[in-house]
Amino acid sequence: MQKNVADKDAVLALALDVGKSMVRCGAEINRVEETVLRICYAYGLKRTEVFSVISMITATVTDNDGVTHTQMRRIHTRGVNFRRLENLNALSRKICAEVPDIAGAREELAAICVENKRFDIFVCMGYVVAAMGFTVFFGGSLLDSLASAPIAVVLYLVNLYVKVNGVNKLFFTALSSAIAGFAAITFVHFGFGHDANMIMIGDIMLLIPGLMLINSVREMLCGDLMSGLLRLLESIVLALSVACGFAVAIMTLGSVW
Amino acid sequence: MDWKQALITIVSGAIGSLGFSYVFQSPKRRTLINTFGGFVVCAVYVFSDYFSDKEFLIFFFPAVAATVYAEIMARVIKAPATPILACSIIALVPGGRLYYTTYHFVMGQDELFEVTVHQLLEIALGLAVGIICVTVIVHEINRQKFKQIIDVE
Repeated sequence: MQKNVADKDAVLALALDVGKSMVRCGAEINRVEETVLRICYAYGLKRTEVFSVISMITATVTDNDGVTHTQMRRIHTRGVNFRRLENLNALSRKICAEVPDIAGAREELAAICVENKRFDIFVCMGYVVAAMGFTVFFGGSLLDSLASAPIAVVLYLVNLYVKVNGVNKLFFTALSSAIAGFAAITFVHFGFGHDANMIMIGDIMLLIPGLMLINSVREMLCGDLMSGLLRLLESIVLALSVACGFAVAIMTLGSVW
Repeated sequence: MDWKQALITIVSGAIGSLGFSYVFQSPKRRTLINTFGGFVVCAVYVFSDYFSDKEFLIFFFPAVAATVYAEIMARVIKAPATPILACSIIALVPGGRLYYTTYHFVMGQDELFEVTVHQLLEIALGLAVGIICVTVIVHEINRQKFKQIIDVE
């Protein structure tokens, strides 16, 4: 379905806001570009050029009179939230199929993007279960797995603090890995766990951007070089901050105990 | 093959997927699908690890399995494939290797750094190529659907 809307800027703004929300919850860049393209097309804007990287989206539409409209969105923070991503996908499908009026679509978008900044017990349990699973996966014992659980809770709390207060993520990633390192070495010293390395590696899986690395290589192989490069760089910088945090813990406590 | 060790790897990998299903805030009704995805991926990984000694191949086949699984499940339950893929494959993403690489770099252990960075690249490439092989095929099948948008240009 397709219809012509008088206010081209409003259409473009809606399409870009949907795109921005998608990038913010961890969508692939080609998906985002395609979504912006489809939404504009649904509202009768047939000539749309869109370019997106992980920190910015920009698009230009040309209407039938030859007048161009350009807007851009800057994206500062990103995380992973698949529930919201799925809702955004459903919304963009609905927009393309039904072409609702823009105010209505905006209301739905706002409803989807309400940020939950409170303690979420399910996510916290997810951290604990994942850390325990991966401690065993990488060769730890059952006791190591138990020891990684309280550290995972701390990691979740630090992560929540960063999300709520919008502070420097790199610094707090390094800090939380240092805390995790200190805790793991201390636990093993007092007999709660066999191998500090195994406890650490289980918790590291929560901090390290392994999936981001794979996605960056994927994007580069798909032709999104800019986005892939930025994502690669981001994952390397994050991984370095994790390594620095653990290095501090290992160098200080490792020599004491 | 050490069956006990293989079973521990598969089950703990699936538990990892279960945990990450919540960490990534996947809808709760997908938890079982994500966990089973982790189970499938780790099972394929155990076999490819047994039959091959090339890191690229060891990680290529599980990535193919994960993507096929995610695409099939996405069609069955009418949901996007990427979240299912991300949760299923999480056990194999080179988190540990990435950590060791940067750790050796920070500590100035150059020889170890060279070994791990080589492994890391091989694994990342194996996973990414495995995923892309399947997505390109699926994309080709789907292409007719939005050909109209491409034709406009």
